[in-house]
Amino acid sequence: MAKKDSDSEHDAPHGGHEDHGGDSTAAVTDDVRLPGAARVAQIAGGVGVVGVLATIGLGVSAGDDLRSFSFAYLTAYVYGLSIALGALVWVTLQHLFAARWSVVVRRVGELFAASTPVMALLALPILVPVLMGNHQLYEWVDHAAVEKDHILHHKHAYLNETFFAVRLVVYFVFWAWLGRYWLTKSVEQDRTKAKGLHAKLYGVSAPSMIALALTLSFAAIDLIMSLDARWFSTIFGVYYFSGAVVAWHSLFALVLFWLQGQGKLVKSVSVHHFHDIGKMMFAFTVFWAYIAFSQYMLIWYANVPEETVWYQERTNGPWQNVAWFLVVGHFVVPFLFLLSRHVKRNRAGLKLGAVWLLFVHWVDMFWLVKPSLGRHGELHGLPIGVMDVTAVVGVLGMLLAAAAWNARDKNLIPLEDERLAKSLAFTNS
Amino acid sequence: MAAHRPEGPPKLLGVVAEYETPTALVHAAEKVRDAGFQHWDTYTPFPIHGIDPAMGIRPTRLPWIVLCAGLTGLTTAALLQWWTNAVDYPWVISGKPFLSIPASVPVYFELTVLFSALTALGAMIVINGLPEPHHPLDLKERFGRATDDRFFLYIQARDPKFDESATRALLESTHPEDLDDVMEDQSSPAGLPRPLVIGLAALVCAAIVPFVLFVQARQTMTDQPRIHMVPDMDFQLKYKTQKASAFFADGRTVRPQEPATIAVGQLDEDEHLHHGRVEGEYARTFPSALPVDEAAMKRGQTQYDIFCAPCHGLSGAGDGIVSRRAQDKEQSMWVPPTNLTQGYLRRMPVGQMYELIGKGVRNMPAYGPQISIEDRWRIVLYVRALQRAGNATIEDVPAAERGGLN
Repeated sequence: MAKKDSDSEHDAPHGGHEDHGGDSTAAVTDDVRLPGAARVAQIAGGVGVVGVLATIGLGVSAGDDLRSFSFAYLTAYVYGLSIALGALVWVTLQHLFAARWSVVVRRVGELFAASTPVMALLALPILVPVLMGNHQLYEWVDHAAVEKDHILHHKHAYLNETFFAVRLVVYFVFWAWLGRYWLTKSVEQDRTKAKGLHAKLYGVSAPSMIALALTLSFAAIDLIMSLDARWFSTIFGVYYFSGAVVAWHSLFALVLFWLQGQGKLVKSVSVHHFHDIGKMMFAFTVFWAYIAFSQYMLIWYANVPEETVWYQERTNGPWQNVAWFLVVGHFVVPFLFLLSRHVKRNRAGLKLGAVWLLFVHWVDMFWLVKPSLGRHGELHGLPIGVMDVTAVVGVLGMLLAAAAWNARDKNLIPLEDERLAKSLAFTNS
Repeated sequence: MAAHRPEGPPKLLGVVAEYETPTALVHAAEKVRDAGFQHWDTYTPFPIHGIDPAMGIRPTRLPWIVLCAGLTGLTTAALLQWWTNAVDYPWVISGKPFLSIPASVPVYFELTVLFSALTALGAMIVINGLPEPHHPLDLKERFGRATDDRFFLYIQARDPKFDESATRALLESTHPEDLDDVMEDQSSPAGLPRPLVIGLAALVCAAIVPFVLFVQARQTMTDQPRIHMVPDMDFQLKYKTQKASAFFADGRTVRPQEPATIAVGQLDEDEHLHHGRVEGEYARTFPSALPVDEAAMKRGQTQYDIFCAPCHGLSGAGDGIVSRRAQDKEQSMWVPPTNLTQGYLRRMPVGQMYELIGKGVRNMPAYGPQISIEDRWRIVLYVRALQRAGNATIEDVPAAERGGLN
């Protein structure tokens, strides 16, 4: 980054060589309000509620004690949760690094980061059956099985219904507080025009990031890894995290494209910002592959039965094709596709990459969750059905509705952030 | 190499303009770019965003070079792993295939990164025309501020568009702080000082010597003892079991047991239990110190499954997984393990079986160091059970359970 005086034309570069402090010469000339947000929230929320209710209805009428419902719904749920948590991590990260490039797009991230309460609500179709003793999803709820199985018995102190519920409550209280905190403080600054807020948020972001890392990892362990309660992988939380970051940046890019399509942020958010988001999509695609392979290779090499069984289930039968699809679709293809800067700076290219990554991330969640459905050997073919579609529509609809609802009375850009001018002038050559 | 100075008056090499701000430089660069110059450059204390388009610099081709290098690295790693593991020196590791992709991925990754990174550095240096130890601008005192707070633009006279007065006028129109001719350097020596050249050449030659000696040593035979590069590692101050000792009078490093002493844990006073014998003959009964009950049988089974079953098989029939694999691989040197349930082993005294486990027999190694005395007896007990099961008749099945058999 380099300094250049602000009197030069169009993409006047501002940067990190010298800190000008508040540079009020550059101003946002865009429309930063989204009056249709409430309407968007209503539509998305309506679709979401219908999706969730349809899934529940289909699940109850399937007459299998909610077994197929639970797995389909959990797949969609951890998918939606990963996006919301990705947003929360992203906003926290921007404060932690006092990032300047992202100020113009940070509010959109804050809107999503503050949408975790709806994910808490959406956790009920998983939590309520567990508390009622339904053990179709999690074997450790089955007291008879726990009694007989030495390992489950041993893990009972952690894996039991009450503590599971307590942990979920703790996670969501923290996530909801943190997301709300980032949004409230930022919106407050729009009104009060207070200076020096970023220093305070920087201080909050560091411990928050540690707590986020822990809660996100343990949530992944509780919700997904405990499906195979005998299996364990210490890198599992990082695996979920890497996918979450990929999925969030993909949705982020799509939401920004949509907003620009609505005539918002057209001049403020430039190709340089999209380029950076594309870089994050690319980088975390590689990171995901790195983590996924690290987990695989250690288990493959040591070849200890209690560890390999998880991959045994996920790389045999119909799952073999899914596993290969992930290797190619979640790494090789997006790696080669997003490698070029020209693709990341091209709207159609980045859009295509984002849609594809959102799809393969769902396949990843599907591959994590659904093979456990076959632990009693009842699987023939891939367990995919209408419920998988309705559940994803439901969860994503609710998530988008929550973010849109947050946006209805707020600016889409933190107009009073002192680093806004630098963000507007950000170049990525 | 004498410093050869050009004759005659110094030649004009170009014109240099100095600016106070990066903005002025960028504007000037745009003008020079639009005038169509090719051989010119700008000099700034720090990188300036936007200077590339202002100078009309095309995107670097470095990424393509790095991509090619990365693919070369990947290919090299693939060939390396294939050749070393599957062709040149095939070696079974943990029962994995010789050419094992997951185990090779870290190598693929590392070589891809290594080739990419070194190429990126090397190609950057070459493309930038580095190293350039000497430049005519270095002679200008004002130019020193290019590393501090001033911004310079230099147009070379060898540019086809260069015209002394017109180019000066062009630069004047960009309002530089200072405008100056750059003349041919006639004060500095044209080449490197001779002693330096000779010294460097000598160093290069000297650097080759060790490799020449190394190659020569690999090619020749010698009756001299080998050279010890690290003598204190080759000759360590410690006694090894079977080596001679200069310290003890009898010259033995391993010390015999002192008369009338017993080492800790070696009081093998129970002839039956410890040696499997009764009055010098192999014992035909289990030692009385060891209870023969269901717990002993279970323990025997566990230990048998761990230590014996890999070769002798879970049923004792000599069909363990190691043997089956050796036969699958058609290993001609493989001696199949004994079937424990047939032949002379059924008549072998338990004391002798106990001894064989501890001391080994033929190509079966001694398990004494690994399996405790009590467990060796329990394994014998379990083998007796396997022998009975392997030769069972309907009479051995309790009458009440015979109906369950087909």
